[in-house]
Amino acid sequence: MPNISGKAYALTTFCPIKNGQQGGVSNGSMIRKKLQELPVNSNSPMAAVPNTYLARFYVLDNAIFQSYPNALDTLQSKYLVFSSNFHGDLDAYLKGMWNNASVTIKYIWADCVGFENVNSADSFLAYIKKCQVYTTFFFNGSTDDSLQEQLKSLFLKQAFSEFVFKHQGAPASQLLADFKEFIAYSQPKVLAGPTWRAGADELEGIVINKNLSTTADT
Amino acid sequence: METLSLDLYDIQGNIMKNYAESGFIKARYLFFKIINGSEGRCFIKGVLGYITSAAPWTGGAEGSAGVPWPTATTNIAFTYNGLKTLGISVQTLQSFPDEFIIGMRGRRSILGDNGSSDPEHWDPVFHKDIHIFISIEGPTEKAVEDRYNKIMEVIAEHHIKGVELLDGHRAEKGEADKPYQDASALYEDGLPTAKEHFGYTDGISNPFFKGMTAEMGELAGGGKKNNKGTLGYGNPELDSTWLPLETGEFILGHMDEAQEYPVGPMPPLMAKNGSFLAYRKLHENVGKFNAYLDKTAENFPGGKELLAAKFVGRWRNGVPLTTFPNETEANALSKQRHAAVAAITLATTDEDKIRAQEAFRLINKKFQAFDYNQDINGGRCPVGAHARRANPRGALEFGHEKAFDTPSAVDNRRRLIRRGLPYGLAVDPSSNDGNHGTIIMTIHASIKRQFEFVLQQWINYGNDFKLANDKDPLCGNHAEIEGKGDGRMVLQAGKVTDAPPYFLSDMPRFVETRGGEYFFIPSLTALRMIADKIVDPT
Repeated sequence: MPNISGKAYALTTFCPIKNGQQGGVSNGSMIRKKLQELPVNSNSPMAAVPNTYLARFYVLDNAIFQSYPNALDTLQSKYLVFSSNFHGDLDAYLKGMWNNASVTIKYIWADCVGFENVNSADSFLAYIKKCQVYTTFFFNGSTDDSLQEQLKSLFLKQAFSEFVFKHQGAPASQLLADFKEFIAYSQPKVLAGPTWRAGADELEGIVINKNLSTTADT
Repeated sequence: METLSLDLYDIQGNIMKNYAESGFIKARYLFFKIINGSEGRCFIKGVLGYITSAAPWTGGAEGSAGVPWPTATTNIAFTYNGLKTLGISVQTLQSFPDEFIIGMRGRRSILGDNGSSDPEHWDPVFHKDIHIFISIEGPTEKAVEDRYNKIMEVIAEHHIKGVELLDGHRAEKGEADKPYQDASALYEDGLPTAKEHFGYTDGISNPFFKGMTAEMGELAGGGKKNNKGTLGYGNPELDSTWLPLETGEFILGHMDEAQEYPVGPMPPLMAKNGSFLAYRKLHENVGKFNAYLDKTAENFPGGKELLAAKFVGRWRNGVPLTTFPNETEANALSKQRHAAVAAITLATTDEDKIRAQEAFRLINKKFQAFDYNQDINGGRCPVGAHARRANPRGALEFGHEKAFDTPSAVDNRRRLIRRGLPYGLAVDPSSNDGNHGTIIMTIHASIKRQFEFVLQQWINYGNDFKLANDKDPLCGNHAEIEGKGDGRMVLQAGKVTDAPPYFLSDMPRFVETRGGEYFFIPSLTALRMIADKIVDPT
């Protein structure tokens, strides 16, 4: 089924960019510059959007078909391409995106045709759906779980590894006591408990129990 | 089996033959700089007659196959700048692969040569303009020295001023002015061994490819997994479980595992029967290794020798852990191999030598003809052990039979021919200082796809083995922070016993790079063409 693989959704949108300019800079170049200046990793505005596995923006100038003979589709405008792989339902995702990143959305899409009429989650949803193309095939490099569950699992796996390395050969009584402390601290069933931040690109340190090593986000 | 006839008289001998297995356990490695192209070509013409081909050492009498058993071997290879200085045309130069053009130093971030392995710490010779590499091997120091003198006589005889033997190889006490790198097998009780300074028997397994005969290597364990039906999942001691790899994985101008002819220099005659060589001088921190082994063994349930074996996947005597988990049996087998190696060295007549080699090959089969099919989870040989990383033997399907077209689909294109010998002596087992380690030379059709990939993805990373970012315990470039290493390794739980997994941590960097370079090994035809300046890409 297009767009969906398991519980993962692949959204692909082509949003037409105005064929105009502002102060001698074309709308397409303007968007490109804004995209290039976006903060990355956990500071990326998309890291604040719930359930984003992976999102990508780029500006499409023309469609070039590389073969023999070559073919060039001259498009009527440049397009802002926004694609995202995320967990769950499209409507909920786009609403979450608007509710958590509306400032960035308005900033990025400002030079797109007709975006001046977008001013709510519902109108954003309608706009994006109008620009959506079918994703016929995609590689879902993620599990089927929600992002929060995945981040928690990853955190637990790494924290438990640390625990194992630190406690190998420890006497059973100490092992039990420290493990209880580890569980109490890491709260395996509480997704909002200690976990990784969305978009984090490197380990930020893990607390195993209070007398051991650094910090994690709580 | 499909047969392929290779022109062994045109291929350089180090590609096809592990000289050490013929008792050539002493070596000298030379680097030259060419100052003047025409004198450089004159030098090549002068040494051409000494170059050892891959022809079998079986006689050479009129009408018979092969050549006489040599007194010493000599092989030659070139860097990109060497070929440029020798007057090779721009068109041919540009047809070489990028990584060869850039050279080993420029590829340091891919190779993980950081910290103490950073090129700034390499032997001074690797900061000079290396153009030609000449390797000499022989059964005795005298044989090597004699051949060395012959090579140097070429320069004297022809009054060649435009070719300079580069000094700057670090020697025993750290002095950096040696004009060559000597290497030698290490001795135990007066007999040569195949061990390196950590005590591991090294260089046992090498790839087996089309065009090789049974005398040249071991199909079982050396080839690729048979892709017909389920044959590749069969008993690894049977030849039917294996097929020879495509020649083009190792020798240019022949078809490779992708059914293509490998990327090589133009014209085709320049590439054909040639190959690429990565030379690496690896220092071994013997003190760190012994201290780590001793300290960790205090708590490790299986004892020190098993722990040492778990690092590598072979007992230190070379016997594979996956097929010989019992130390006593492993030691018995190792004694047989030891005696067989010594017999080759001690044999006096050519017939005796050939016979001794045959006896050796029979025993050596036990060291090579195995895989990890009965040990997918790593209970015997850990998944992250050095030998299993460097050559997974079709284990990357992780027990999902038929996951790929052939069980070894993921590793067939990552195989390396390994040559080389230890250098120096680690006199004090508690010290890291001094000049001792291993000269390792890998030979392959693609430096990038084979050597660099294995180093980057399999030695210094663990994702392909589902080991996250764990590195090779022995050769990984573990970081050291305030004197404490960050290397880790999981010793998977045994299937038979209910022993829990064991976790090794705080591994320091046991092996450091002290230098290296990439070389092109031309065929004897191409070598003559380089010397005659008739390499014409048009």
